[in-house]
Amino acid sequence: MRAAGIGEQGQARLRKARVLVVGVGALGTHSSDALARAGVGALDLVDRDIVEQSNLQRQVLFTELDAEAGTPKAIAAAARLREVNRECVVTAHVANCTAEFLRALPRPDLVLDGTDNFPTRYLINDWCAEQRIPWIYAGAVGSEGASMVLRPGGACLRCLWPEAPANSDVGNCETAGILAPAIAAVTAFQVAEALRILTGSSTPSTRGVFTCDVWRGHYTVITLAPESAIDCPVCRRERFPALTETQPSAVSLCGRDAVQIDPPRRSPADLDALAARLRGVATDVLRTPHLLRFQADGVRFSVFPGGRTLLFGVADPLRARALYDRWIGLS
Amino acid sequence: MIYLDHAATSFPKPPSVVAAIQRWYLELGVSAERGDGSRCSEVRREVDAARTALGALAGVRGDRVAFTSGATESLNLALRAVLRDGDVVLTTAFEHSSVVRPLQALQRQRHLRLEILPATSGTLSLAAARDALQNLRPRLFVFTHASNVTGALFDAPALCELARQAGTMTLLDVSQTAGLTAIDVGADLLAGSAHKALHGPQGLGFLIARPGLELPPQKQGGTGSSAAVAEHPEHWPQAFEAGTPNSPAILGLAAALQWLQERGIDNLRNGALARAEELAAGLRRKPGVQLFWPTGPRLPVVSFVHRDFDPAELGSMLDAAGIHVRSGFHCAPWIHAALGTATAGTVRMSPGPDVSADDIRQALAAVAD
Repeated sequence: MRAAGIGEQGQARLRKARVLVVGVGALGTHSSDALARAGVGALDLVDRDIVEQSNLQRQVLFTELDAEAGTPKAIAAAARLREVNRECVVTAHVANCTAEFLRALPRPDLVLDGTDNFPTRYLINDWCAEQRIPWIYAGAVGSEGASMVLRPGGACLRCLWPEAPANSDVGNCETAGILAPAIAAVTAFQVAEALRILTGSSTPSTRGVFTCDVWRGHYTVITLAPESAIDCPVCRRERFPALTETQPSAVSLCGRDAVQIDPPRRSPADLDALAARLRGVATDVLRTPHLLRFQADGVRFSVFPGGRTLLFGVADPLRARALYDRWIGLS
Repeated sequence: MIYLDHAATSFPKPPSVVAAIQRWYLELGVSAERGDGSRCSEVRREVDAARTALGALAGVRGDRVAFTSGATESLNLALRAVLRDGDVVLTTAFEHSSVVRPLQALQRQRHLRLEILPATSGTLSLAAARDALQNLRPRLFVFTHASNVTGALFDAPALCELARQAGTMTLLDVSQTAGLTAIDVGADLLAGSAHKALHGPQGLGFLIARPGLELPPQKQGGTGSSAAVAEHPEHWPQAFEAGTPNSPAILGLAAALQWLQERGIDNLRNGALARAEELAAGLRRKPGVQLFWPTGPRLPVVSFVHRDFDPAELGSMLDAAGIHVRSGFHCAPWIHAALGTATAGTVRMSPGPDVSADDIRQALAAVAD
């Protein structure tokens, strides 16, 4: 309350605010922790994954007990945040973030990106544009990170990147690893911007992309054109592709500890590029004329030329979708 | 797409079947026993034609044929109608879940003694069946006419005769065989579905009882007849037909049975069997493949596993090559212990009568050596 720019009025606004955090991994645990401590009234946390040992290095709300029990991230995080601030109403959603899911939620005042994949970011973008809700992009990989505010009426994510960069181009924290301070730097920007928006601060949101490389010591804001791109389907034509696209289907195989994932459209998957990216980060990578196999997160993946993927060693379709988006993300 | 899953559902359906279903939706739209209009009479004629043609396959009159929602409902209703507390039931390790699951539920509810003939040789032993029938004198012998996993076709006439000699009632699951081989084999009850080799639509099945066998209804409701009477009728087939029937599907089945007669069941079977033999011959040449192909009479069903690939992987590889097959357990939970496939099941290819030799070559090319 005493901090510059917040004041009693700002604190009261925070208490009435509702924030949706999509993805409660490294980014989402940092940002939701800061928001709960700042006194935000209600937090919706959505994540379909469970806590694992390898998460603990950077995902601050979780403990070894959570990892041993395989507690869903949303539930473990919500429990911890209620201990942090019992007045904050925290709702855990162990779910895929889909258009249907978002439509069923109470309307948030702000959405924070804590995801690890672009299909979900486009979904957030399109839904927020349709609903005219501000959201704050965030991503981090290796020692680098980026974040930016996307407000209704301004440029959206599709204005900047009309198509999702292939996961093989940007890497992810599984393939490139991640340095915990990169998360802290990115979420520091993200949460500060969030607080400015939620308190109704007179200082406008930062325009442009905050980028950092905490290992090299680079911190910059890259200025971007504030207007929507002239051919953006969302901003110029009010079409919201991610809200109407069919999601990949995930089906448990009868009697097996395995899940089959089919992308909505069969498109030739570049299995060679995928294999090249996975070598060194996944184990047992095997490319045959018919398929690509690899082992990651304790699960054996088999990817086929049309994009279908089988995951052996996982029975829950939600968890399989999370692993699929993390390691393959072809949609 | 090359479709090799006829053991699950035949595809494509004959155009006359599609036309008959469409005609019901566009021109008829009513039920046989429900209404006074001339269109009701028209539907009734078609439903009767379906009963008569199906009865002819089973060697009974049409009025012994009850329509259900599928073989699963037929088997459930028959098992519930026949079995009493403490009964001994004989069955086989080849059964589909539509027999296994109701039997296991009834075993708990009605304290049945369940005896299961083994699948050790990949087929059913007549000697083992004779011994079990003579020693146990079960109330019911429920068994499938053929394995939907290995394709083995069982000697149903001999098995039904052995049961008759032991005073045991027979319930034969002809889901795999109706439309491919004779089903007039001396069983007391026949249960099957329209959507497999009969080439009819999904959502329709039948339960056929030999003349003189009446069973208590297991579902009660409207029958379109005897409506002034509060009790559900106990005579066949109304005893097993409560509620508005699936008229469009029955009209589709009537057309399918007509098509079967024109093409000839033996011709259809032999065509599909030739393709299955080609598949088996090609698979035998692949060093990584283990084929399940028991000797003796069979259906066009080919099951195999591969040394280097999971059945689900093979199914997806074939799918990527445009070939539709089925991998897994094929809803037959007991047989896989005998085959050594209890972990992941098999890949099953089941060709239909109009699959070409070239289709088979393409399918074989898509299976790794």
